[in-house]
Amino acid sequence: MASATPVFGDFLGPADEHIAAAVSFRGDLSYDALRRVIRQLDRLLTTMARFLTDLPPPGDSQPCAGPERDTAARAAPAQLTLDRAARSLRPAAAGLTATQACTSHQVAGHLSAAADHLAAGRDLLQTHVAPGTGGIRIRKSYWAPVITSAPVTAALLGVLAGYTQTLALWAGKQSRSHPAAQRTPTAPQLALRAAEPWLLLASAAIQAAQPARHPGLAARKLLEAIPVNAPPPRPPSATGEPVSRLCEHIPLTAERVRHATLTFADDARWSPAATSASWRCHALAAAITGHGSELILRALAERASQLSPDTDLPARLAAAADDMTCAWQSWRAIAGHWDILTTGTSPHAGMTPVAVEIADLALRTGRLAYRNPHWAPSHHQASPIRDPADLAGTPGGIIAVLTAVHHATDAITRVAVTDHQAVVVAVADNRLCVPTRLLPENYDIPAPYARAPRSHTDALLSGYDAAITATARAAIALDRLAALVSAPSSVLGAIPRPSVPAREDQRHLPEQRPAPQPSGVMHMPGRAEQQLRKLRIRDPALLLRAALIDQAAHDLVAEATTRARGRDHLMAQIPRSAPGIRRTIRPAQLASQDTSARPQPDGQVNHDAGTVQPSLPATPHQSSTAAKACSSRRW
Amino acid sequence: MTAAEPGFPGTAPGSGQPTRGKVRDMPENHEIGARLGQAVILPEILAAGFDAFEAIRMAARDHQDRVPTLFAAFMTTANAAVDGREALTIAPSLPPAGQARPGQVLPEETGAGEAADALAVLAAALGERLRQAAVLAEVPGDQAACQQGAAAARRICELMTRGERDAGLR
Repeated sequence: MASATPVFGDFLGPADEHIAAAVSFRGDLSYDALRRVIRQLDRLLTTMARFLTDLPPPGDSQPCAGPERDTAARAAPAQLTLDRAARSLRPAAAGLTATQACTSHQVAGHLSAAADHLAAGRDLLQTHVAPGTGGIRIRKSYWAPVITSAPVTAALLGVLAGYTQTLALWAGKQSRSHPAAQRTPTAPQLALRAAEPWLLLASAAIQAAQPARHPGLAARKLLEAIPVNAPPPRPPSATGEPVSRLCEHIPLTAERVRHATLTFADDARWSPAATSASWRCHALAAAITGHGSELILRALAERASQLSPDTDLPARLAAAADDMTCAWQSWRAIAGHWDILTTGTSPHAGMTPVAVEIADLALRTGRLAYRNPHWAPSHHQASPIRDPADLAGTPGGIIAVLTAVHHATDAITRVAVTDHQAVVVAVADNRLCVPTRLLPENYDIPAPYARAPRSHTDALLSGYDAAITATARAAIALDRLAALVSAPSSVLGAIPRPSVPAREDQRHLPEQRPAPQPSGVMHMPGRAEQQLRKLRIRDPALLLRAALIDQAAHDLVAEATTRARGRDHLMAQIPRSAPGIRRTIRPAQLASQDTSARPQPDGQVNHDAGTVQPSLPATPHQSSTAAKACSSRRW
Repeated sequence: MTAAEPGFPGTAPGSGQPTRGKVRDMPENHEIGARLGQAVILPEILAAGFDAFEAIRMAARDHQDRVPTLFAAFMTTANAAVDGREALTIAPSLPPAGQARPGQVLPEETGAGEAADALAVLAAALGERLRQAAVLAEVPGDQAACQQGAAAARRICELMTRGERDAGLR
C-alpha cells in the first residue's frame, strides 16, 4: 500500500528487533533490573494474549469460510497458558510502576518497546472491525476479511508462537544464571522459572492453533501490508507534478476513494447527496480515469517491449490495456444513461465525498497519461499522450506506474459495486425520473419530471453490471501483472473485491417495493427503438422517446387484450340458449365490471368467474354459476 | 493520435492558423443560437436555454470519441450541459415543451476541434443570456435556475475554449 499510510509491518518489524535485542543481552541482571524486566515481560505477554482474544469467534456474524472459524476455539489453550505465564511473573514485579520498570535497564527498555509496538499494531488491526450487538464484530474495511483469513491468521500466530518460544528460552536461561556473589535463586528468578514451562506450552499451543501449517512468506508480507483503516491525508493538488510524484500520489488518492466509497455506502440510502448528479460525476471520473489508464498501459507495453523484449510483459500489458478499454467504455455508457435519467434537482443536496476524491483520481491519472503536467479535462489543457520513455525510464519506472494504475483501477471497481447497489435502491424506491420536456409532445404532464420508463432503468442497471464485470476484469489483469513484477500493489489482489448480489435478492431489501418483472431479463427494445438503433441513433433523448412510444403501444395492446379476454370470458359464461342476454351486454359495461370478485346473492364472493377458461365449453356447474352472475348483474 | 488527425485542436478550420486562448466566432448559424438571440421574455429564454444545453450535450456526446486527447473534455462538457439543463428544468417560469426541439447544433462532419470551438461560442452566448435573465427574474426559483444555468454555461465555455498550448501539439 501507499507508504504514507501506517501498516502493520511498521510495528511488527520494530517489535521483532526489540525482542531480539532483549534476548541477546549477555550481561548479568541485578535483582532490581530483573524485577523491572519481569514487569515488562508481563506487559508483553498480556499484549500477545490480547491478539489471541481478537481472533474471530465461531459465532462471528460475518465468518470467513474455511478453517479460520475454529481458530479462536483452538487458540483458547494458548490464551490460558499465556495468562498463566503472566500470572506467575506478576508477584515478582509487584509495586513497580511502568515508568520505573522501563527506564532503568536496556533489556526492560527493549521489552517495553516491543510491548508498545505490538499494542499499537493490535490497535491498527482493531480499526478494521467495530463492536456490534451481542459481541458480534462488524467489518469496517475491505481489509477485514484479509485479517481474518486463514493464511494471515496463521502468519500472525506464527509470529506470536516464535516470540513466545524465544521468550521461554530466554526466561529459562535467566532463571538459572546467578550473579557472581549470589548462589541461591532470587524471587524474580523463581518467577521466571515458573513462567518458562507455561511459555513453552503456550508456544506449542499457538502453533497448534494455526489454521494453516505453513503460511509462507506471502502471508507474512500480506500481514505486514495491512494498513490502518483511516484515509491518508489528501495529497496537495499542485499542478506540474512529475511522474514520480504522480506515482506516489495516485495510490493515496485511490485509497481515499476506497475509504470514501465504503464510508458513504452506509449512508447512501438516506444521504441527500445520494443523487444522480453524484452518480453521474462518479461515472464521468471513472470513464476518464479508465481512458487515461488505457493510454498509460499501452505506453507501458511499448516501453516494456524496448526494455524487456524477451519477456511476455509487453503482451500482458497490452492485454490489460484491452481490458481497460472495455472498462472505460462501460463507464462512458453509464454516463450516457445519466444524461436522461435523474433523481431531480435539489439545490442543497451537495455531492458525495466519493465525487471529490474520484475527480482527483481522474485528474492525476490524466496528468500521468498526457504530456502536459497541467493537464485537465478541457480543450485548453488538451495535450499529446506522454512519451513511453518519459513515462517509465527504467524497469523500476514501469513497476511504479503500473502500481499507480493498479490502485486507480481497484478503487474504481469498488465504486462500481457501491454505486450499483445505491442505484438499485433508487430504482426500487422509484426515485429515478426523466425531464418531461424530453418526452414527446403528447405527454401532457404538468410537472418538471416524470417517472423513468422501466426500459431505461433496466438499461442503466445492466450498464452497471457491465461496468462491474469489465472493471473487475481489468483489475484482475493488473493483479496478475503486479504479482508478475512484484509490484507493491500486488497485495491488492489478495483483498476480496465486493461482488454484486443477484438483482433478485437486492429487490427484496427491506422497505423496497418488489419489481414488477424478474430482473435478470435484459431490456428488449421495442419496434420503434429497434428502428432507431438500426439507424445507429444513440442519442438517449431520442431513444427515450422511442422507448416511450413502444411502452405506450405495449400498454395499449395489454389493456386491449385484458378487455377482450374479459369480454370473451363473460360471453362464454352466458348460455348459448339466451341470445337476448348476450345482446344486452355492451363491451363498455363489461370492461367496467369487476368479474373476479362480484358479491353473490347469498353474500358469497364469486371467485369462479376468474378461473373459467373462455375457450372451453361451459360445464353444467359453470353454466349455473354464470347464470347466477348474469342474474346478479341484472339487479 | 497523429498530427494529421482531422479535428485535432490547434488550428482554426480553413485558416491553418492557431487561435490562442479565446473563443472564436461561431462557424455557422444554427437554429438554437438564433432562438437564444431572439428570446426576449423569461419563459422564452428558459426554453431556449434548456434546448441549448440539450444541443450542447448531444454535440459533445457525438464528438467525444473522435479524438482521444479531447475525450475527457467532451465528456466533461456533456456532464456540465446536463447540470445546466437540470438547473433550468425546475425553473417555475419554464413553459411546457412546445414544438421546438434542440435539433442538431453541428453538421455531422464537423471535426472535434471545430466542434469544441462552436460549443464554446454557443455556451458563451447562453451564459450571457442566462446571466441577463437572472437579473430580470422576479421569482427566486427562476433567479436561482438562471444563475446555476449561467454557471454551467460558463464552465462549458471554459472547457471548450482552446488554449495557448494548441500550437505545440503538432
